[in-house]
Amino acid sequence: MPRKIAVLGAALLGIVLLGVILISADQTQAVVLGIGGGALIAAIALSVTLNYQGSGVVNFSAGAMAMYGGYIYYGLRTNGQLFLPPIPNPLSLIEGLAHLFGASGFSLPKIPVFIQLASSSGGHEAYGTIIKGAAMPIWEALIIALAECALMGLLFHLLIFRPLRKAPVLARVVASVGLFIILQAIVVLRYTSSAQAVGPILPQHPVALPRGIRLPSDQILLVGIVIVVTAVLWAVFKYTRFGLATRAASENEKGALVLGYSPDFLAGVNWVASTVLAGLFGILVAPINQSIDPYTITLLIVPALAAALLARFRSFWITMFAGLGLGMMSAWIQLISNKSWFPKAQGSALPGLTDTIPFILIILVLVFRGKSLPTRGAIETIKLPFAPRTKRVLPASLGLAAATFVLLFIVTPGWRLAIVNSLVGAVICLSLVVLTGYVGQISLMQMALAGISGFTLSKIADAYHIPFPIGPLLGACVAVGVGLLAGFPALRVRGVNLAVVTFAAAVTIQDLIFGNPAWSGFKGASVAPPQIFGLNFGPNEPWTKFFSGGQGLLPNPWFGVFCLIVVLLLIWGVVNIRRSRVGRQMLAVRSNERAAAAAGVSVSKTKILAFGVAAFIAGIGGALSGYRFGSVSSQYFGAVPSMLFLAFAYLGGISSVSGAVVGGLIVSGGISSIVLTSWLHVSDQYTLLLAGIGLITMAIFNPQGVAGAFRTAYESFRGNRTESLAHLPLEMSESKS
Amino acid sequence: MAVLSTKGLTVTFGGNRAVNALDLKVEPGQLVGLIGPNGAGKTTTIDAITGFVPSQGRIEFKGEEIGSLSSTARARKGVGRTWQSSELFDDLTVLENLQVASESVSVGGFLRDLVRPRNDDIDALISILDSLDLGGTQGQLPTELSHGQRKLVGVARALAAKPAVLCMDEPAAGLDTEESQELGKRIRALVDGGLPTLLIDHDMGLVLTICDYLYVLDFGQLIAEGTPAEIRADEKVITAYLGQSASTEAGA
Ligand SMILES: Nc1ncnc2c1ncn2[C@@H]1O[C@H](COP(=O)(O)OP(=O)(O)OP(=O)(O)O)[C@@H](O)[C@H]1O
Ligand SMILES: [Mg+2]
Repeated sequence: MPRKIAVLGAALLGIVLLGVILISADQTQAVVLGIGGGALIAAIALSVTLNYQGSGVVNFSAGAMAMYGGYIYYGLRTNGQLFLPPIPNPLSLIEGLAHLFGASGFSLPKIPVFIQLASSSGGHEAYGTIIKGAAMPIWEALIIALAECALMGLLFHLLIFRPLRKAPVLARVVASVGLFIILQAIVVLRYTSSAQAVGPILPQHPVALPRGIRLPSDQILLVGIVIVVTAVLWAVFKYTRFGLATRAASENEKGALVLGYSPDFLAGVNWVASTVLAGLFGILVAPINQSIDPYTITLLIVPALAAALLARFRSFWITMFAGLGLGMMSAWIQLISNKSWFPKAQGSALPGLTDTIPFILIILVLVFRGKSLPTRGAIETIKLPFAPRTKRVLPASLGLAAATFVLLFIVTPGWRLAIVNSLVGAVICLSLVVLTGYVGQISLMQMALAGISGFTLSKIADAYHIPFPIGPLLGACVAVGVGLLAGFPALRVRGVNLAVVTFAAAVTIQDLIFGNPAWSGFKGASVAPPQIFGLNFGPNEPWTKFFSGGQGLLPNPWFGVFCLIVVLLLIWGVVNIRRSRVGRQMLAVRSNERAAAAAGVSVSKTKILAFGVAAFIAGIGGALSGYRFGSVSSQYFGAVPSMLFLAFAYLGGISSVSGAVVGGLIVSGGISSIVLTSWLHVSDQYTLLLAGIGLITMAIFNPQGVAGAFRTAYESFRGNRTESLAHLPLEMSESKS
Repeated sequence: MAVLSTKGLTVTFGGNRAVNALDLKVEPGQLVGLIGPNGAGKTTTIDAITGFVPSQGRIEFKGEEIGSLSSTARARKGVGRTWQSSELFDDLTVLENLQVASESVSVGGFLRDLVRPRNDDIDALISILDSLDLGGTQGQLPTELSHGQRKLVGVARALAAKPAVLCMDEPAAGLDTEESQELGKRIRALVDGGLPTLLIDHDMGLVLTICDYLYVLDFGQLIAEGTPAEIRADEKVITAYLGQSASTEAGA
């Protein structure tokens, strides 16, 4: 039955497209031009499917891998340079220490960032600058790039996903998010975030097709290649022992062993195949847009996930056709967006509708297939860190608050800003504590919800002069509305699939709302400073210092105090949730939905409540950051920042309030950033990279998060019996039929 | 009037009828046994009664049709259950496990709790724990308990919800003979204290001694019903079910 639905969906997509194609020639032309992008979506989706079959991981970084592969190749093609990821250099630590002690001229050898592979003697001009080094021939560059992709796949398997083979779903989601962040951060480090021009790789002469349609030959080739790849995968999985074993292993591990393969080997091979596949298409498809950037291809993971989900991570053919279909569909929407009836925003076509389609598709597929309660024996619980009933909250938080208060007035402006950033970050982390930590719902959209609130605040404060406390509260309420809407699928969708839904939601919000010129303009929307009773405590309000060390520069410390109060209030609330009836019901839902329902807990209401509360908290965070920047911009609130915040919250310790505080410390721009930059002399650009690496390390070695690790250490220090709670075996030998 | 009854209860998984046209009744004050070999459809019957699998036929609780209600709603009406494999909330302490079942929250209550959490009286819960010999475990996590204790916490949690009828899925599985007889006495005491119960268990010795009435399932089909004495004498039961285990029982 589900298979039928999938086939039906694909067929429907096909029919719609066919219908569209038959309408008119110009539409046909546009739709057909989307097929190249569709080939990339299909390839990423196939890569995701391979990963899933091989190791049960839903790989959010497949798009990032395609992008990375593209960059390797075009680096070689441009000037024969192979870029390297930053490799930790022990010498720089010594250097940092030396700087700390004032020896600023002290400098030790660095590890290179590029390896010159082709002759470095040549030189040519491109994009207005002289490029040193000769371009590498196509084939050489292609082989080297794909070899590196293969190597990376192997490393991902060996270093990350093999250790996580038996880990809970959230740990694996987090690891693949970490990988996403790392891959993107490396490319931004090496090539900046602006687009790089790329030359053609496949021949690009126009080919005339029937009905007067013209299509560049490279797109035809791309479709051909993706079909061949699909056919090969299909044949391998259908007819070889290896394929059969992978299929068997994805059902249960013993199956593969019977066929004489170790599941580990299968997972490794599938990882290599999937990174090579993604890399190859990143390379082949980039020239269609004549440029490559760290974001566009990376985010194609959303339609790719839609395609893979449609095929239930199983059928390669359905995956491929769905991918091609989605590519063409978005091209078609781009075309019809010129029509007069198309929804407009400030005269130009509403952006972001192309991304809405995969989102809607994902939701339909998952909600349709989902069940309001898991079926018997479905192992869908995501084991999360222990959520302690926090003790000694009042003294701890008052102590920290007092210290923060004093620090705000005596530190230099840079540090003051870092404190403010950490406070705002802690708010977002708190929202994840409620949603993911307490109720186990993985959300990759919290920053987008924060943005909704920020944008609402900006629009309201500007247009209607709504006074201070009402503006941000209203913003948070709008965030709640959107959060409930986007969280609604959670009633029937669980675990990693919910992560997919929320990520797609974040991308849609980002493109549809933040990218909407009517809302944000292109620079972002301004936010008026908060004031009450004529007292302005915005960050940019001049103030007079009354402590010697404080330096009377911006940001205004009273804004920090305002943030501090908000954080304290929210901590108070979130701690009380854990101590109250609702908190117990939330944790009951998190640990066993069926048993919770049998105990009279309304699972759906609990989830909805959690989505609402979390959206409210995120909304408050969004308002704070709106005040903090004096404006809201889509960069700060999109899908990738949402991902990052799940990472920070997880790193800090996702199921406790103290974890959210630690999470706040490590957000980018927060206290840890300024410690890294100003004390250890690590460039600001590396913080993302470090976050990604920290995330993966944490997922593998310490799923309790930093706060959990401290708690465990503290309690074993006190000889408390709860020390090893997390490591106790879950189930004793219980009779199961 | 029966507290709980089913008429023509049918559950299908794909083409497989796990429960077929089952008529079953639990009268007030009764301990009703539901027995049958592995895979007979016993758990599926309870799942259907408590709303965890879709089913056809009628399910009535105190004369009211509840087949269309959600699991949560049925639980709140008073249809309690325990699970074959305990299914405790491993992240909550024993006491909190019971609290989840005993408490209900309104929106206003939630908002008040945000400011100052108020807990319902836990004396009743402690006495449930005491009555099941679990006194002193309330602060522990389920993972710290023995297997037998976990099973009992499952029962305690079901009792905490103050059910009007209780469905128990193999509460004695995994317990030794002595423990399971002890548990049998407790269950009997509960029933005599006014809680009608539907009991699944494999321990024939136990079921035949404590139950008032028995239903025997095999391959989803009801093959016999009656008092323990009638069941002991039933040919079909002996061949289908007792045949295999009676020899082992007889030895014991
Ligand atoms: N979710 C499900 N999907 C498909 N088949 C199922 C499902 N749940 C149970 N079954 C099947 O229904 C039949 C009855 O199972 P059930 O668990 O109810 O038996 P049981 O009498 O409780 O057995 P045991 O004594 O082993 O606990 C079995 O054949 C089982 O495989
Ligand atoms: Mg059973």
